[in-house]
Amino acid sequence: MGANIYRNKKPAFLFLLPAFLLMTLYLYYPFFKNIINSFMDIRQLGTSGTTFNTPWYTNYIEMFRDPNVLTSIKNTLLMMLATLVFQVGIAIILALMVDNIGRGKRFFKTVFFFPIVISATALGLLFNLIFLYNKGMLNQLLEFFGKKTLTDWKSEGIALFTMMLPVMWQYVGFYFVILITGLNNISDELYEAAKIDGASTWQRVRYISVPLLHNVICTCSILAVTGALKVFDLPWTMFPKGMPLKSTFLTGTYMYYHTMETKNVDYGSALAVLIVVLGIVLSKIVNAVFREKDY
Amino acid sequence: MRKRMIATMLAGIMLLSVTGCGKGGDGKDGSVELNVTTTFAGEDTNAQNYKDAVKEWEKQTGNKVVDTSASSSETFKMRVATDFETGSEPDVLFYFNGADANSFIEAGKVVSIDEIRKEYPNYAKNMEDGKIPGSLVDGKKYAVPVNGFWEAMFFNTEILEAAGVAIPGENYTMEMFKKDCEKIKAAGFTPIAAALGNTPHYWWEFAIFNHQSPSNHLEIPKNADDAYGQAWVAGLNDIKELYELGYFPDNTLSATDDETFAMFTEGKAAFLIDGSWKVEGIVKSCQSDPDKPSTLDTKKLAKFDVTYVPGNGDRKATDLVGGLSSGYYITRKAWDDPEKRDAAISFIEYMTSDSVVAVFAQHAASALNNTPEVDPASFNDLQIKAMKMIAGVTSFTAAVQDLFPGECRVSTFDGMPEIVTGKVSAKDAVAEGLAVYYKK
Repeated sequence: MGANIYRNKKPAFLFLLPAFLLMTLYLYYPFFKNIINSFMDIRQLGTSGTTFNTPWYTNYIEMFRDPNVLTSIKNTLLMMLATLVFQVGIAIILALMVDNIGRGKRFFKTVFFFPIVISATALGLLFNLIFLYNKGMLNQLLEFFGKKTLTDWKSEGIALFTMMLPVMWQYVGFYFVILITGLNNISDELYEAAKIDGASTWQRVRYISVPLLHNVICTCSILAVTGALKVFDLPWTMFPKGMPLKSTFLTGTYMYYHTMETKNVDYGSALAVLIVVLGIVLSKIVNAVFREKDY
Repeated sequence: MRKRMIATMLAGIMLLSVTGCGKGGDGKDGSVELNVTTTFAGEDTNAQNYKDAVKEWEKQTGNKVVDTSASSSETFKMRVATDFETGSEPDVLFYFNGADANSFIEAGKVVSIDEIRKEYPNYAKNMEDGKIPGSLVDGKKYAVPVNGFWEAMFFNTEILEAAGVAIPGENYTMEMFKKDCEKIKAAGFTPIAAALGNTPHYWWEFAIFNHQSPSNHLEIPKNADDAYGQAWVAGLNDIKELYELGYFPDNTLSATDDETFAMFTEGKAAFLIDGSWKVEGIVKSCQSDPDKPSTLDTKKLAKFDVTYVPGNGDRKATDLVGGLSSGYYITRKAWDDPEKRDAAISFIEYMTSDSVVAVFAQHAASALNNTPEVDPASFNDLQIKAMKMIAGVTSFTAAVQDLFPGECRVSTFDGMPEIVTGKVSAKDAVAEGLAVYYKK
């Protein structure tokens, strides 16, 4: 009898069923329904489309004509690149530096991780004040150093920089913590042996830390790239409706804009499909580029 | 056995918590919890009056108001529309009675005053029925109004003096306005406080009105080429001209309405076209503590004044935009809930009672049958100036944008930066908005 309970798989299925049902109801059904919606004519949230667009693929043709789609894809790709270079890059540098200090590791871990726990909307409001045109912190600082004119940090030319900076700043700590955990897993014996052999600090980092961190860096890179696809709240708080001149739209914010603001729900659904396709393609590329090594 | 007991306990706790969630709508002691959304928030003149009135009603009835009021904006309107569409509408709503209400009236999600009067014959009986605007959907009256509104041009007397500009009066024209703006700009100030990328509404309305007259301002064009369509295009091109002349703030395309309003109250911008609800915002900016009227700096407030919006053609400067554009709705959800129905009626009856309306209306109109006398001594300097200005108004016309649903306004509201920078022509933007309007 005792051994039979391991052969009987029915209870396992029973326990899997609730999760499966929830996933079906709240993820897979809306997902497939959204694809259908993207072909229909829907002018209000909460209402089902009763007629198909004529022709039914209208929204997909419109996507190719809509210059804002191209802008949002470009901005999203730029955000990905910036995330990879600045979030993961800065996190690697910080992690290596903190790993090499004797005392205060815990302090720096807490300090660098802290921005993660603040809500993105609150951070957006905070950075709105920092970048405020009139009496914003940054402009006051520049005025103190002798600048005569005010800088509009949200103007067309520099809006993307202003939008990406807080996003970079917020998530550096996240990757920093992952990387420092990876560094902690490297045996001290390796460093001690290298030290005895006369390796300098730089050589220990170059030939021990970085190679052994490879898989962790790959994981961070995949997380960063896929995470960049989902960035929404902070950019929307700081640059609602793609302000200025619709130049700061990301794929997520543009989809939201059409669904919630212009009430073009079916076009929003088509943009959501585009985001999924973009996500799958980019994930495949990233997984191929950042392939983990077996040691 | 022990495990089974723990499992039963956990299941019990889960069930209780779920039951608790379901009972969230009612007060613990039999009182009713009413979800209310209004536009009496932020810088609105009546934000504090509303809070005080709600507190008093709660005290009198023992019921509770869960307030989700927010300043009126396109985002707020979208939020309300989405709440209705997704079934999470409030019980009572103070909201616009124009095109913005069409979607939930069409869906039958609010109750008409006539239907309410079948059960509560005295409902809104203190109002003149003729003054309560009907719905654009079916002509029925749904919203019980409180106070009317007007839109006019506030200005900073100190800046005008510094720039050598005379105080604008009832014969003020756009040509005179442009000359004054040039002088103000030359004196180192920003002539117009407006965030064209965020809140172009007021300029949109008056710029179009300036190519029409009070008798035809509310006509929606059939297309961008007919007479009304051309008026809309010409109005938007006027805004473009003012932008190109550099009369708006440098950051007008990226600023929020709050930022440009702050420019005005801080004495950096001369003119501000806005509504009667902004009076309180200006007064508060002159208080060292915005929550304490006793801290008002009367000298600072004396620098602000309000006048007519520069006119053009058949529209005189004294022809303003105004009326009774909002009111209290009871949602079908609250009406069908026996516990909430009485509370919702009681709340609206209190908020639209003669005494409360008199406090809210102040210098603006109301729909009351018997308007109580208001003591002018209770008014501040800017309110008195506003009353003097209103005395010279030749006509009040409703806002045509209230007849033009939100999704139709997108191409000319959200698209205003593209229009003024020449990336999209005013004609194309108008045509796009009209195409959405006639597709509906």
